Amino acid sequence: MTTPTAIAPVSQPPAAAPAIEVKNVSRWYGNIVAVNDISFSLAAGVTGLLGPNGAGKSTLLHMLSGFLAPSSGSVNVLGESAWKNPGMYARVGLVPERESVYPFLTGYEFVLLSAKLHRLPDPAAAAARAINEVDLESAQHRATGSYSKGMKQRVKVAAAIVHRPPVLLLDEPFNGADPRQRLHMMAMLREMAANGTTIVFSSHILEEVERLAENVLVVVSGRLAASGDFRHIRRLMTDRPHTFTVRSTDDRRLAAALVADPAIFGVELRDERLTVRTSDFAEFTLAIPRIARAADVTLHELLPTDESLESVFSYLVKR
Amino acid sequence: MNLAIIQLTMRQLIGQKRSLLLFATALIPVLIAVVYRLSDLGTDQLASDQPRWVSRVLLSQLIVGTLLPLAALIFGTAAIGSEIEDGTAVYLLSKPIPRWQVVASKMLVAWVVTSALVLSATVVSVLIALESPLDYNILIGFLLAGAAGALVYTALFVLLSIVTSRALIVGLLYVFIWEAVLTRLFSGLRYVSVREIALGVADRVITAPAAVFSADLDGNWAVILVVAVSALLFLYAARRLAVWEIGEST
Repeated sequence: MTTPTAIAPVSQPPAAAPAIEVKNVSRWYGNIVAVNDISFSLAAGVTGLLGPNGAGKSTLLHMLSGFLAPSSGSVNVLGESAWKNPGMYARVGLVPERESVYPFLTGYEFVLLSAKLHRLPDPAAAAARAINEVDLESAQHRATGSYSKGMKQRVKVAAAIVHRPPVLLLDEPFNGADPRQRLHMMAMLREMAANGTTIVFSSHILEEVERLAENVLVVVSGRLAASGDFRHIRRLMTDRPHTFTVRSTDDRRLAAALVADPAIFGVELRDERLTVRTSDFAEFTLAIPRIARAADVTLHELLPTDESLESVFSYLVKR
Repeated sequence: MNLAIIQLTMRQLIGQKRSLLLFATALIPVLIAVVYRLSDLGTDQLASDQPRWVSRVLLSQLIVGTLLPLAALIFGTAAIGSEIEDGTAVYLLSKPIPRWQVVASKMLVAWVVTSALVLSATVVSVLIALESPLDYNILIGFLLAGAAGALVYTALFVLLSIVTSRALIVGLLYVFIWEAVLTRLFSGLRYVSVREIALGVADRVITAPAAVFSADLDGNWAVILVVAVSALLFLYAARRLAVWEIGEST
């Protein structure tokens, strides 16, 4: 596998200005509200767009990519309106969700077409570099009609990054990719983000978002249910107890000591595993070493069990 | 115009299966011309009737009335409609290219391919069916009519494929209900029939007597309409593509 090379965008937005700015955006179809008064701004880094089916995340991504007009509010990408502004695509790359590519073109021709449409000074070199970045050299001269789903995804990504855009929007980019390709693409996107690219991708696979995105936007029923680092979001959800599993030299004695602490909701000792529920994440993590020391117990492991994106997501969706 | 889009569209249109069927369909007027010459060749009656049969039946009905709209419909709706349908249009539209250039490139290719097919069929079938080179003025008239008709038809069908995902059905209804039936019943509708406009262009050039060929629409009007209608269709298509939304076509 080729190691992803450093991929830096050609031009970057001024440091102070957010790359993507969405202000009070709504979009409705007749009487149906698909997106309802959403606002956020994003700077360089990887942001995962999450939401159940029909929540409005595709509508939101289409508005970010200039393929849907907001019914109200504004969507700006790199300081320009996304709608009715083809000039914006000189600095934006888009990987659409639909699998189809021109089946009669080879992978190389497809990426070269993208480079030519961007009027790059050396389209052949840009196409070769982008194909190398997605690790598709061995299949580049085959017609894309014969490509697997994962190869189509990679050639779409290559076409989207051929002009090294400072903003990259990807709709379900890992669909059909095998684990090796997925890891390679994740490494490549992380590298791009580290070099200043603003990346937004939607995915219905929480594990992918958890592994790649430092920032999430959770859309539920057309509204922005949460945005930011999902671990931080979880800690702010004070109406939901936090759950930890604890391993120590004497779980039974530690359980008895913990149950006396007012911040602790419940303690359970089952199958030689101690599970603790608390309402205050910060206070608990500070208190438990003290409680263990007082009870003369040594802690081996303290593990938050519901800090995964999946649990955050399910809490938000059930709200 | 954009060369990369022109080359891509050319490969798309020539490579697809329905285009190959259309190339086979273009042989039908040629075969009919062959049968016509073989069946009655050399009779005195035929020699005087040839220009009339060629212009009214072979060219007006078979080529301008059937092959031209069919070819323009297939190529015009496929030029961008098939990309909108299968989702590949996003690869063109997410590039820093003004949308009018996308429309112009697509219309140009659809027009060139349609014209090439229709004009080839026209030349070959006329050369087979017409005995006297003196009557070749008819050929020139119908070559111009074919090119002019192809321009208006392809502009119309490219526009239709941008505004509706049912462009093929709407186009068929236009050609075979509006033009073939209603325009003949109500002569006032000839101004909104591409077929009548194309025949009007032929009439502007052909010097043969009215008994041989005449169109319902005045030749000068036809030329003005070709330019005006094509320009309006192009401008409207460019405007619609500029505000095209994903999932919009219904």
